Amino acid sequence: MAMNYNAKDEVDGGPPCAPGGTVKSRRPDNTAFKQQRLPAWQPILTAGTVLPTFFIIGLIFIPIGIGIFVTSNNIREIEIDYTGTDPSSPCNKCLSPNATPCICTINFTLEQSFEGNVFMYYGLSNFYQNHRRYVKSRDDSQLNGDSSALLNPSKECEPYRRNEDKPIAPCGAIANSMFNDTLELFLVGNESYPTPIPLKKKGIAWWTDKNVKFRNPPGGESLKERFKGTTKPVNWVKPVYMLDSEPDNNGFINEDFIVWMRTAALPTFRKLYRLIERKSDLHPTLPAGRYYLNITYNYPVHSFDGRKRMILSTISWMGGKNPFLGIAYIAIGSISFLLGVVLLVINHKYRNSSNTADITI
Amino acid sequence: FQSEGWISHVARARRAHGGRTSHGSAGCRDARHGDRAVLELHPRRGPGAQGRAKKEGSGDRNLTLPPPPRGGQAAILGWIVSTPSALRMFGSEAPRHQRQPGTAERATAAEEAQTQGFGRSGSALTGPVDFSLGCQKVEEKMGWQQSLQESDVSKVRTIYLNEPLRNSFCKNSISTAKYSMWSFLPRYLYLQFSKAANAFFLFITILQQIPDVSPTGKYTTLLPLMIILMVSGIKEIVEDYKRHMADKLVNTKTTIVLRENAWKMVMWKEVNVGDIVKASNGQFLPADMVLISSSEPQVTCYVATSNLDGETNLKIWQALLETAEMQTEKQLSSLSGKIECEGPNHHFNTFIGTLYLNGKSPVPIGPDQILLRGTQLKNTQWILGIVVYTGFETKFMQNSIKLPLKRSNVEKVTSVQILVLFLLLLAMSLVSCLGAILWNHWYGEGIWYIRTKDYSSHSLGFDLLVFIILYHNLIPISLLVTLEIVKYVQAMFINWDEDMHYKGNNVYAMARTSNLNEELGQVKAPSDTGSVKGTLKKVDLGRGLSPSVITESCEFNDPKLLQNFENGHPTKDYIKEFLTLLCVCHTVVPERDGKDIIYQASSPDEAALVKGVKKLGFVFTTRMPTSVTVEAMGENFTFEILNVLEFSSNRKRMSVIVRTPTGNLRLYCKGADTVIYERLSEDSRFMKETLTHLEYFAKEGLRTLCVAHADLTEEEYQQWLMQYKKASTVIQDRMRSLEECYDNIEKKFLLLGATAIEDRLQACVPETITTLLKANIRIWVLTGDKQETAINIAYSCKLISAHMPHIRLNSNSFEATQQAVTQNCEALGTRIGKENDLALIIDGETLKYALHSEIKRSFLNLALSCRAVLCCRLSPLQKAEIVYLVKKHVGAITLAIGDGANDVGMIQMAHVGVGISGNEGMLATNSSDYSIAQFSYLEKLLLVHGAWNHFRVTKCILYCFYKNVVLYIIELWFAFVNGFSGQIIFEHWFISLYNVIFTSLPPFTLGIFEQCCSQKSLLTYPQLYRISQAGNTFNTKVFWFQCLNALIHSFILFWMPMKMLEHDMVLQGGHTTDYLFLGNFIYTYVIVTVCLKAGLETLSWNKFSHLAIWGSILIWLVFFAIYSFVWPTIPIAPEMRGQVNMVLACPHFWLGFFIVPTVCLILNLIWKSIINTYNRTLLEEIREMESSRAQGLYPPTMFKRRYFHTFHDFPKLIRHLSNRRLELHIPNSTGPYSATPASPKVLLSVDGNFILPVSQAKNLEVTLTSSFCYPTPIVSENPIVPTSK
Repeated sequence: MAMNYNAKDEVDGGPPCAPGGTVKSRRPDNTAFKQQRLPAWQPILTAGTVLPTFFIIGLIFIPIGIGIFVTSNNIREIEIDYTGTDPSSPCNKCLSPNATPCICTINFTLEQSFEGNVFMYYGLSNFYQNHRRYVKSRDDSQLNGDSSALLNPSKECEPYRRNEDKPIAPCGAIANSMFNDTLELFLVGNESYPTPIPLKKKGIAWWTDKNVKFRNPPGGESLKERFKGTTKPVNWVKPVYMLDSEPDNNGFINEDFIVWMRTAALPTFRKLYRLIERKSDLHPTLPAGRYYLNITYNYPVHSFDGRKRMILSTISWMGGKNPFLGIAYIAIGSISFLLGVVLLVINHKYRNSSNTADITI
Repeated sequence: FQSEGWISHVARARRAHGGRTSHGSAGCRDARHGDRAVLELHPRRGPGAQGRAKKEGSGDRNLTLPPPPRGGQAAILGWIVSTPSALRMFGSEAPRHQRQPGTAERATAAEEAQTQGFGRSGSALTGPVDFSLGCQKVEEKMGWQQSLQESDVSKVRTIYLNEPLRNSFCKNSISTAKYSMWSFLPRYLYLQFSKAANAFFLFITILQQIPDVSPTGKYTTLLPLMIILMVSGIKEIVEDYKRHMADKLVNTKTTIVLRENAWKMVMWKEVNVGDIVKASNGQFLPADMVLISSSEPQVTCYVATSNLDGETNLKIWQALLETAEMQTEKQLSSLSGKIECEGPNHHFNTFIGTLYLNGKSPVPIGPDQILLRGTQLKNTQWILGIVVYTGFETKFMQNSIKLPLKRSNVEKVTSVQILVLFLLLLAMSLVSCLGAILWNHWYGEGIWYIRTKDYSSHSLGFDLLVFIILYHNLIPISLLVTLEIVKYVQAMFINWDEDMHYKGNNVYAMARTSNLNEELGQVKAPSDTGSVKGTLKKVDLGRGLSPSVITESCEFNDPKLLQNFENGHPTKDYIKEFLTLLCVCHTVVPERDGKDIIYQASSPDEAALVKGVKKLGFVFTTRMPTSVTVEAMGENFTFEILNVLEFSSNRKRMSVIVRTPTGNLRLYCKGADTVIYERLSEDSRFMKETLTHLEYFAKEGLRTLCVAHADLTEEEYQQWLMQYKKASTVIQDRMRSLEECYDNIEKKFLLLGATAIEDRLQACVPETITTLLKANIRIWVLTGDKQETAINIAYSCKLISAHMPHIRLNSNSFEATQQAVTQNCEALGTRIGKENDLALIIDGETLKYALHSEIKRSFLNLALSCRAVLCCRLSPLQKAEIVYLVKKHVGAITLAIGDGANDVGMIQMAHVGVGISGNEGMLATNSSDYSIAQFSYLEKLLLVHGAWNHFRVTKCILYCFYKNVVLYIIELWFAFVNGFSGQIIFEHWFISLYNVIFTSLPPFTLGIFEQCCSQKSLLTYPQLYRISQAGNTFNTKVFWFQCLNALIHSFILFWMPMKMLEHDMVLQGGHTTDYLFLGNFIYTYVIVTVCLKAGLETLSWNKFSHLAIWGSILIWLVFFAIYSFVWPTIPIAPEMRGQVNMVLACPHFWLGFFIVPTVCLILNLIWKSIINTYNRTLLEEIREMESSRAQGLYPPTMFKRRYFHTFHDFPKLIRHLSNRRLELHIPNSTGPYSATPASPKVLLSVDGNFILPVSQAKNLEVTLTSSFCYPTPIVSENPIVPTSK
């Protein structure tokens, strides 16, 4: 409605050029802002000016990369696949669905001793924890101990919301599919009796998860009472209040459960299972030698071609073993350096090519 | 008799005039040029060219026509006009008599306009009679055929005097606001959602409400949409509030109305139809009313109509004599009767009504008695009027039209790209759907943990919706509102620009629309009119006997003339007569402003002449419909005006027949020297002297007129009057018979003298044109002026140079035109299509033929092969048509600049219309997109604002696309690893806040503050304009390149963090992570990369750029931190709880923080710097220069300009040159000398061999041919290298 009509014309006495009309000065401030003269830094990007950047990047990145790479390489890590698809594998017997409970044992040898705290992970492959239908299938209010959500879980949990007219606690596909293999580690050593390695099951979840995000429902003396009126997830053997014997690791705040509930980003993922704490400075946590892994095989992955692994790893200041960052830093640093050299050549070659002749005319 | 007679006389004259023109007869005006249309290859020489042209003109051509008005470049060629402004254009070709509405003529014009279905309300444009089809197209294209018909079919309304209203008419309160309190929301929403992009997001929002379909939550699109709607809503409210206030101001203005037998002050909005209104001097009229009485004798009143038609001269209205006596309250309140009139319509010039007064015979009311709303009463103490139309039914409001909405090129390209992006979105969704199907096919059975069989019922369509929602953000939601704000600020910058402030009339440049800002940077073909001609500055009155004296600034001060006059020189009587003539023979209306008299003239030339004689003591004081009063030497003389013999282009003269105070009949005439000289009687004196003066004037480039008079006898006059009456009633060829009739009495003149008027160009016009030409802008002059005038102007503004050959096309038949065009095309041969150093000059008549479809193409080719094109004698519509032609066939962005009402069509037709707010009224300004006060400001408007805005807007758009693609394509990458399930990798709200918070600032700084280089450089090197002009910064290629770049970035941004977190073991406690952990990594890196990319795009970092870039990153981090703590206090984002502690504590995060954006941007950096080095553009050169200047180093040009160097500085200087070459031009020696650092001590070596002795190194003129930086030169007291250039 850009109308030609301007009411101001009738008021001000018409357009400024109209005779006798009073002209209001609309003089703007003569400021740097309004006159668009704000001081500004004008970076110039030519081979000559960006040269140093590339060399600097190269000089900084390469040492960092080497550092990271070395750190990563110093981390001890062993990965044991116990899926049992290979017929020779001890766990092969567990693939048939009627063999429950199924316990299998896998032997392995640590060539080098693991020092410092050792972390035990289980790893799953081809498991789409990041599938949309899976990710959303949970009720965080319920997990936070909200009583109403406990008995009336969110619709997102469907189809694991109710079972036999009772609300499921914890509801949803994530909880329902919780990893339930049990892994035990034994050092074979020299003696005939294998020594069980003490596995710590607390401290594996994020602090905020354990203390803020996950809470058992209030009220009641025992956990069982608190979860009254709910039923266990379909696939679970035991209800949620029987996940662990220790009360501060039971129910929703069971750390294995909490760890599982953080859904992984990729279909191949690891989850922290147990901690093997360093006993003393003198002895390595896991000395080199023969070990065996005792597996209570419950978790079916065969149907989706999944793999199950157990990982033992030490940890550096920057986490577990992952050569990627180190290599990336070294590669980028080198490329950058190389580009710097290329630019140097280009700069030398083309510096004098110039259009200024046009300008000065 | 006299009054009536006079009016009808003028009316007839005009009607005749119109009749003639409407037949489109070309007359014999250009016959002398005939079919001559060949390449003229004799170059004009030197600076005297203009003068020579004048001289030549006065010699053999009728160059010294009566002065065409500047701006009133009237078209006298086959056109009808329908508005007073157009009438003025006719008349203003020459001095003419005062403006008196001619009933008959007005009606005719309007009727004709109607019958042809043409006519654009409010403008001077109407349809051609026998114009080619092309025009029709133009008309349709321009949407001029507005729905006028509806108002044409108007009902008769009856107004009863002094009686309560019998039927309800429109209220007089007006509202120009878009919204009211109640209509705001629905209307605003309707307007917003009629935009495709907003509708799309609304659609997405609705989709999200379907349960289980949205992967991103229900309200995540709604929120940004609401924010965006709110932002533009606030803008709308502010703008509308201003309109409301302005309306209120108007509606509450007071006027005096007769209520209950007494005068009462009432507000405008309370004025009703049938009210009797009393308006006093200077007042604006509140409604359309019938004039019944006034304070002035002969019940006239003067009215300024500049609001209506932009004409600055006053016009006279005259009431019916029947009502003239009704002046007192008593008389008025006892009035009874009715007025019957036509219903409201938009025609300014028509009114049909009848006044029925009880006890009297009905009186017809015509347009002469209708005072219109929007006009201002002047020079009249008071008037009385009966209101007939109010509010929106007034002709003024009926003429308020919607301006056609222009969209810029960039906008069009952008909307196409949005569409393409939408298709891409669909394609991506389909691919993802396919992926989902395949995934389900391969895995579906075994995935017990999801129970896929429950979802298998979902159809493909459902999946498609999921993915459309997932990827919908590819289309930048905030782009439209960002651009709106950016362009608004850009327009403000234009308005604020001090450099475009004209002190002369205290007018700033004004961007009347902001959606064309970037188009200013792309102009390739501005067509301008004679608007370059500035205000009249010089008036010379020459006198046959006394040597004429040229004086400045309207100050005529010829001592000799006065001395001769006062000292009783033998020529005293002639001088007196000369001055009297100039006082009497014109159409100027005087306006008293205290003691001063301000002359209102449609033609500034006339005003200048009258002002000139006023200085000489002959003051023109009053104009009555039938008389003028002149105060000469303290005495008042009243001349009764009997007839006005109108100007026409054929006649090239204008005369009045007056009865002198002494009772004699006399004819005064002024006109072109040739026509006057033809008609001089043998008794005429001073013929030779005047000729010499004329020649002298012409040489000076002045416009000359000759003035002469003839005494008439009563008998002679009466006889002629009979003839005249007969001629003016002839139906066929009336114009010719009238001209013949005029010719009969215009004879036996006695020469009085000559006048000369300088039509000075505005300041800096030649410079501006030169600069614009350098900027690769083609300039076509489209003017209504005569060919000679146009050529002279082209010379003086350096559009045509002295050595430039001309091609003249002056033909009067189609065949001849065709032949000429073909001939010229052949002559050009292979050079056709390239820009040649040629000037093409064509007149309107020839153009009419040249635009026939058969030769249109070749004519255009010919025109495009010439550097300068001059089209003369064009009608407004022809101007528009040429612009249309260029627009359509050349595909260039056109700009039209003009100042007159006749430029309106062109201004609206061109891509960008620029109006010069000057003397010619507001019509051009009002219909323009940008208005500037001086032609020369075009330079800054285009080269600086245009180039800047283009850079800014295109960068802003590209960047908006880029940042959206970067973030949202990541979802696609993620889909590859999550089984195409539609899972998002980021938190829901991050996705929706991305555009409205985290990355909202950089587009603004790019769009508002980006400067490719300084204003100074842009003006100094107009070549820079070519960058934006060619549109290299924004086209499909660049767009896709940017998208590809975004694709690569998104790939890196997804893939690198993914690899980093592949083993999930990145935390020191050995804890494992989740998908959002990866998402937060990626999101942070995206923000950093995208912000730094904005930094990389920014060529000029001011404080706001820093704020936006670093601020955005900071805002994100702060938001991230806060957001990680809200659950469970606020029930949102449970997954985010604790993320910040873990993410920020993760060493991988920080290691990635530095490497991931670096990897992305290093690609851009290397690409940019190699391009800048390898193929260095002019822009880069200049930026380097600027930057070295900023560092206190002197780039070559600076060096060249202000350099004083002591001799011993040279070695130092040369050392700083490193390897670069320095060329020195030494006077009195041959060749440029080069200095190399190899021989700093020997100062200079030429080609590495020649060593210039130290002693010769004096007066060096230093020119540097390569760009390099200098240390600040040491200014010496004893300079030996001054460069004076």
